[in-house]
Amino acid sequence: MVNPDEIRTRIESALPGARAAVADTTGGGDHFEVVVRAAAFAGKGLVEQHQLVYRALGDLMPRIHALSIRTEPS
Amino acid sequence: MSDVLDEIAREVRENAIVIYMKGTPTFPMCGFSAATVEVLREIGAPFKAIDVLAEPEKRDAVKSFSNWPTIPQVFVGGKFIGGCDIVRQMHDRGELAPLITAATKR
Repeated sequence: MVNPDEIRTRIESALPGARAAVADTTGGGDHFEVVVRAAAFAGKGLVEQHQLVYRALGDLMPRIHALSIRTEPS
Repeated sequence: MSDVLDEIAREVRENAIVIYMKGTPTFPMCGFSAATVEVLREIGAPFKAIDVLAEPEKRDAVKSFSNWPTIPQVFVGGKFIGGCDIVRQMHDRGELAPLITAATKR
C-alpha cells in the first residue's frame, strides 16, 4: 500500500518547484491519479514529461497498480 | 532479452500503428488497455495489437525498449508516443489523428 502523500513528496522533491496533487482513486492505496505542475516540463514532449514523473517515483512504481498522470508546464 | 528487443524493433518498424497491451482489442484485460484501444478505434486506422499476457517475454522487454514502466504502449510510425494518458490527451487535442494519418500513408 502506498500513501498519496508519499507520491506527492517524491515528485515535489525530485522536480524543483513542482506541485503535485494526488488522488487515491479506489481508497485501496494502489490506484492513483496525479496532476503535476512543474517548470521542468517546459519545452519537453509529453513522453519526456511523464518519464520525469515515473523516474521521481522510482521504487514506488512496482507497488502502484494503476497510475494516471497529467502534466502541466508551470 | 536482445532477441525479444529485436523482434519489438521489427514489429514497430513494420507496422504503422502498434499497441502493446494486456489482453486483446476484443477482450482487453485492463482498463487502460481498453481505453487506449477505444481511442485507436475512434480514429479508425488499422493497428497491430500485441498481447503481453500471451507473449510474457515482451512485457518487460517493451518497457526497457521504450524506457517506459507501464502497459499499454503505443507506437506510431516506429516511434513510441506514450501510454493511455498521453494517447487520450493527444486525441482530445486533435493531435493524434494527423500523426496516424501521416504514418499510415508512408
